[in-house]
Amino acid sequence: MLNAFEVKVQLTKDRTIDVSLPFGGKKGRKTDVTGVELYSLEPDGCPAVRVYQKRGEWRVGAAGFVPSPAGAMPECWDDIAKQPSWELPRQFQAPGAAIAVNSPDALFGQASPDAIVQEMIAGLRAPAASHSAPSDAGKKRLGIKRAPSAAKPTEEKKPAQSQPSKRPELPPEGVPVSENGRRFAVRPFAEDDLRLAASLPEYQALWLGRLLPEGKRPTAVSIQLAESALMASVMMQPAYRDSGGSILAVFVRRDAVFFAGYKLGRPALWRRCPGVGGYEAMRAAVKKTLGVEEELVDSVLDDSLVDPRPALEPFLHPVLEQMELARAYLESRHSINSERVLLLGLPSGAGQWSRFAEESLKIKVEPADPFAGFALDKGVEIARPQAFLPAIGAALAAMEVES
Amino acid sequence: MTGAALHLNLLKDSEHRSSSPVRLRVMMPLLAMLATIGALVWWGTNLTQLVIVKTQADSLDADIKSKSREHAEAIRQQGEVRETQLGLDQLEFYRTGVRHIAEPLAKLAEVMPIKVQLTGLSVSRLPPQNLARPKGVKGPPLWGPPTNVETQKFVVAGRTTKAPPLSALMESLDGPGFEGLAGTAGDPATGRKGTVVSFRQDSAPAKDGSRLLTFEVEYIMPERRFAK
Repeated sequence: MLNAFEVKVQLTKDRTIDVSLPFGGKKGRKTDVTGVELYSLEPDGCPAVRVYQKRGEWRVGAAGFVPSPAGAMPECWDDIAKQPSWELPRQFQAPGAAIAVNSPDALFGQASPDAIVQEMIAGLRAPAASHSAPSDAGKKRLGIKRAPSAAKPTEEKKPAQSQPSKRPELPPEGVPVSENGRRFAVRPFAEDDLRLAASLPEYQALWLGRLLPEGKRPTAVSIQLAESALMASVMMQPAYRDSGGSILAVFVRRDAVFFAGYKLGRPALWRRCPGVGGYEAMRAAVKKTLGVEEELVDSVLDDSLVDPRPALEPFLHPVLEQMELARAYLESRHSINSERVLLLGLPSGAGQWSRFAEESLKIKVEPADPFAGFALDKGVEIARPQAFLPAIGAALAAMEVES
Repeated sequence: MTGAALHLNLLKDSEHRSSSPVRLRVMMPLLAMLATIGALVWWGTNLTQLVIVKTQADSLDADIKSKSREHAEAIRQQGEVRETQLGLDQLEFYRTGVRHIAEPLAKLAEVMPIKVQLTGLSVSRLPPQNLARPKGVKGPPLWGPPTNVETQKFVVAGRTTKAPPLSALMESLDGPGFEGLAGTAGDPATGRKGTVVSFRQDSAPAKDGSRLLTFEVEYIMPERRFAK
């Protein structure tokens, strides 16, 4: 959303200039954004949430699953010509949209400035983040036509003289920078000389930027990686606000578990739990160990009729070890006392996680509702709320909510 | 705490698109084209008007040049007409100003009393006419007098034996038929038109030795007007 004193003039399809009038003011903050997660492996479509602010209150105007865009995300520059046009249902037609994307070619994590510059030098030749790589079954649902490795040999065979001779500079905070075929964005960590970095191939960023058509609501105002949006999804959580933005959160996704630490609202830790799959792996362990059908897994995890401890213990043991390490890191480096840990993203079995954590670590792991802190509009009914975390986070980050 | 610290936006500002159905990318060239066409039409209209006016001016100029001789002749003739008309007007003024005193003089003989002997009838001379223009005003001399009203005096001189014949003469001159000589105004003290300038005994006695009385009576003649 632009304020009254700034005019955005699109000269060509790819070129836009900002014209700021001399008496112009500060850029206005967005107050109505639809967050949507693309290629989330959700069978019902793309989770989408419309978040807006009304009279100081944050509200959810709509939440649901929307059909995925036609076609697949490009895997090389040649694919960018096949640009689909994607329109969201009426209830999600906010002025702007924040897209959280899952891409096997994306890179997200904490890194030193040197490491980020090295990534920028490597550009498209950089290996995709292993934690982002989907399974073979997932690739089909993600719309990936061929493995990334199939497209890369030609790039790797580039002659040495084609490599850039000039060392790229670390991108300024919050400003996306294109370098060697990739787009980078960084944010500083709370205190350490570390950065939170996100990167995506340039052709995918361009493709995503044009996905929502011009002249119709909504248009893209922010493109984020799903992990980045996930990290921002805690901003409205009461526990996060009560702690002054200094807390440890555990995000459980379908295929991975992440630890995120915050200090006074700034990122202090981002780490994927190594050697552990997401809740799909947990459910598979329950099914295999207890011999139950898929339909009964949720009942086993949430009800007390059957003790799932034998199935959960091997799965949760490394998670709790990593949680302890994360707590120790936050306490020693950032003086954050993580007696309370937020647990988000788990569709079932959150109670079991809390119980295990309390028994073994003597800490309180609090399962959280992703929509806590929001007022829901009349008629908004949310099934599987944990699936909307990245969409909520993308919208909140795009609105740059102050808490 | 601010959400900006967690916002890793990969969308560049230059890639933002407007959600407004009015697309500046489309509208700007259209508006620019319309403005250009409007300016061209305006410029063309002005140019056409300029050409038309210039053509008309050239035509008028040629027409004026072609008629300049006739125009000068017409102007000269108009001047002549004005001068002639002016002369005619002045002649008319003089004609109006002519005094008709022949008839009153002829009639004077009929009313002259027996005991009166006229020794002179005179009309005062007019002052010389000043036909020079007022100081500072250039031009030819004036056609007529600076004032259009002139007055003259008619003086009757003669001898008589006593006063009644003179009174009879003055009474006759006050009567009808002598307005051209005696005018209309008179001496309010006597109620006569004429003013007795002198009435005395003649210095030389007559043949029979009697003494005669000489008199001089002055009349203000009617005003002579130079006007139509």
